[in-house]
Order: sequence, then C-alpha cells, then structure tokens
Amino acid sequence: MNMSNKTLNKISSFFLNLKSQPMTVVLFLCASFSVIILFLMLFFVAREGALAFSQFGSDLFFGMQWDLESNLFGGFPLLYGSLMVTFGALIIAIPVGVCTAIFVSEVLPFYLRDPIKSIIELLASIPSVIYGFIGLLVVVPFIASTFGIVSGQTALTSSLILSIMTIPTIVSVSGEIISAVPKNYKEAALGLGATKWETIKSVVLPISKSGILASIMLGFGRAVGETIAVSMISGNQAHVASSYLDAVYTIPSFIAIHMGEAPVGSVEYSALFGLGLILLIITFIVNTLADIVVKRGVQP
Amino acid sequence: MVFCLLAFFLIAVTLFTGIGTLNVDVFTKSALQGGALEMIVGTVYLFLGAAAIAGPIGVFTAIYLVEYAPSGKVTRIIDQAINNLAGVPSIIIGLFGYTFFSRQLGFGISLMSGWLTLSLMILPIVIRGSEEAIRIVPQGFKQAALGLGATKWKAISLTTLIAAAPGIVTSVILGIARVAGETAAILFTSSVIITRGLPESPFEPVMALSYNIYVKIVAQGTEPERVFGIALILFLIVVTFSLVAIILRIYYRRKQPWLS
Repeated sequence: MNMSNKTLNKISSFFLNLKSQPMTVVLFLCASFSVIILFLMLFFVAREGALAFSQFGSDLFFGMQWDLESNLFGGFPLLYGSLMVTFGALIIAIPVGVCTAIFVSEVLPFYLRDPIKSIIELLASIPSVIYGFIGLLVVVPFIASTFGIVSGQTALTSSLILSIMTIPTIVSVSGEIISAVPKNYKEAALGLGATKWETIKSVVLPISKSGILASIMLGFGRAVGETIAVSMISGNQAHVASSYLDAVYTIPSFIAIHMGEAPVGSVEYSALFGLGLILLIITFIVNTLADIVVKRGVQP
Repeated sequence: MVFCLLAFFLIAVTLFTGIGTLNVDVFTKSALQGGALEMIVGTVYLFLGAAAIAGPIGVFTAIYLVEYAPSGKVTRIIDQAINNLAGVPSIIIGLFGYTFFSRQLGFGISLMSGWLTLSLMILPIVIRGSEEAIRIVPQGFKQAALGLGATKWKAISLTTLIAAAPGIVTSVILGIARVAGETAAILFTSSVIITRGLPESPFEPVMALSYNIYVKIVAQGTEPERVFGIALILFLIVVTFSLVAIILRIYYRRKQPWLS
C-alpha cells in the first residue's frame, strides 16, 4: 500500500513537472514517440498474425511444410534456415570482428585509427541490396566453381555475405568497450613485465568480456533479420537443409518474396505476419539481453 | 582488419568494373526510355522526406534525454525502446509500415508511406548521434545563458543546440546514408517497378534504385550484369553520404576544442 502510494506520488509529480513547462511537454512527447511506435508495431504485426496463430498455433513454429493448396503453414524450415545462416555468419564474424576490434583499438598506431574506423563504418553503410548484388556477381560463381556444385546460391554463400555485414556491428560495439578499458590497468600489467599480448589477454579481454558478448548479440540480431541480401543469394528453398552447400530459405526473405502475392486478409497473409511476429520477438529478446549485458558490464 | 579492408576494396573494385555501363543517358532519360532518372529522383525524394520527419523528432528526443529527463523508470523505458527500435529488422519495419501507414491510415503505396516508414529507421540513428553531440557541449555555455536570465529552453536552444549543430547534422546525414539504399522497408510501402514520370503528390508511388535492383533480379530474373549501372549509382550515393558524415565529424572534432 505504502509502496504503491509512493509510486503514485512519483508519477503524479512527474506529470505535474511536465505541466509547468510547456516545452518539456513537447520534448517528452517526441521522446515517447519511439515507445509508442514500438507498441504500435507489436500490436499491428500481432493483430495481422492473430488469424494464423489461432488456426495453426505452434505449427507456425514446428510445422514442416508450407503449402498453400493443402492449407499447411509450417515455418520450421524457415526458422531453421534463418538460424543456420545466422550461426554460419557469426562463426566467421566473431573471430574476425573481435580480432579487428582489438587490433584497431590496442595495436594500431593512433593516426591510423580514424581512417580504418571510417572504412569499417563505410562497410556498414553499404545497402544490403548492393551486398546481394555483389554476392550474385562474385561469391555465387566462386562457391559454385570451388565446390563443383550446380548452383552457388547456398547457405554458405549467405553466411559469407552476412558475416561481412555483421562484422562492422561487432567491431564498433566491442571496439568502443575495449578502448574504454582504463589505461592504468594496462599500464599496471605492462609494468609487471607482461608483454602487449599478455596484457590484452589477461587484462583487456576479461574486462571487456561483457561488451564483446553484447556486440555479438547485436550482430546476431542484425544477421537474423537481414532480408534483401539473403533472399538474393540463398537459393530460397523451404526445406531443412542438410549441409551448408544446400539452398535455404530464411524467415525475412520468405516474407519479402511472398508478401506481394498474398491477398490481404487471407490465411497466407496472416501467416506471413505470424512469421514476422516470431522474428520481431526474437530480435526484441536478443536486443534487450544485449542491453542488459552492456549495463551489467559497465557497473563494477 | 585486413579482412575488412579486403572486403571493402573487393566491393569497390567489383562495382567500378561496371562503370562502362554508365552514361549521360542513364541520368537524364526517363525509365520508360531506358534511363534511371525517376529512380534516382525517387530515391532522393524518399530519403529527404524521411530525414525531414525523423530529424526534428530525433533532435527533440535527444534534447529531452540529455537535458530534461529525470533519471527513473520512464527514461529507462524510452532509452530501451530506442535501442529496440534500432534493432528491429527492416523487413518488420516494412510490414508494420504496410499495415499501419498504407492500410490503417490509408496512405496506400505512396511516397508518404515510404517517408514515414523510412523515418522510423533514421530515428534511432539521429537520436543517438544528437544525444552524443549535445552531451559533449560544455555545461558552461548553457549556464552562462541561464545566468543572464534565459529560461531553460531558451538557454538550451540558443547555446547548447547551436554548439551541437554540426554533430546533429552529421547524425542526420548518417541516417540518410543508412536508408538511401534501404529496400525491405519500401518493398510493400512506397515503391513500384515503373511509374509514368515523377510522382506529382506525396500520395503517389515512386520508383527507387534499390527497389529496382532487387525486383529486377529476384522477381524478374534479370541477369545481375544488366542492373550494374543503377547498382553503381546507388553505391555512389550511399558512400558519398557516409563519407561526408565521417569527414564532417572528424573536421568538427578538430575545430571545436571542447569536443576532444
């Protein structure tokens, strides 16, 4: 009782404060815009997907087949494809990204840091349709000829391109955390006779562990939702792929390709929104966890 | 790091092999005659409108978060929401834009729906960038104005905001770079493969470079080589914006002594 009174007081004084300064109200409204949009997004995607969820329930996750004619809407192959491609991308992007972050913020001479960071930032700003285009032009034929397969549009191709798209996220987030490690920690280690590498391994990495973890999670979120590039180079076949040299279909590319032909309000349309909701929830969870991990890491 | 450099140069070199496909016609002729004029202008329309919507909201949000927000639950929720919004996959933003802006609000497949949808993608970038720019301005500027009797809002808008302006502009340009090539978000909301001339009102659909590359390759099965020209133009637009933002940032960091 006491507790709720206190919060009530807090809330009312919060709004009273707003009332006394008109400009604060405007600013507060703008600031709440993001919150409102996020709720609207959840609500609308869920509303459109409700029909499919009520009809198929968990089949949308675990059903093996997506077949319009027999009214089957199973998203498992798509979920599987998404996770497969994403993990493949992370396996490449994590070591490369973390090593790059360490190299840029610890080893690289000072005057080279800005240019290198800028190039990594440029890499992040290249649109995904361009990545898809390059993938088709260069990587797909390369994979086909290297492994002697007919079509180079495979899970491996997508993972490769996705890893290039994920690396900037990992580098910039973990780089920021790594360069925030207090200088005197490093100097203490160096003073004790540790080599540069020993210092990085036993001082820098343990301290920035949580930041690196968060950067990986953000990278995961970015990779799992990537649509355009993947749908251009992954072959788009809805089956549980047996190897990385198989074609796959991911949730976002499936939505992108099928939305155009699904009549508004139909079961298929709703099922696509259902898939979208699954994806939205996955990225919500991952991003929120990443946030928590970062905040934990900052507090000593 | 070598990997990143290699990747970047590989991409740049590959794209520049397509430079032969570019000629003046591409820029001046209408799409019906084999040019790309409407696509280029459409892309520019899209990102300018989106930036015009996201800019003010983003800057106001940043001011609120830095200067006004009490540290408490509400602020934490707003902060968290911005991070989450930044992490929403673009295809979901597109789905939402379609159900909300195109259908619920009745804007249809139009420039307006595209603006609103894309502004949601620029918003977190502008907020985070402006926040940083505002936070870095010394408190003394504002306090001097407050000491002279200015109200809080006056003090902030006349000193802090002006000192932070270069950083804010940089963040908007970065936001533009991020959405100029966006495809998934405009896939269902604003673009079509061909229009007769440029849109005459915000409620008509537009052509866009990114959309054209995507649909031509995926839906129409065009050979990638045939869209080389528009891919290169798009790449150049995006890289130019990113470079301008990066250079501006480095330049102002050197010029304004309190920034470093």
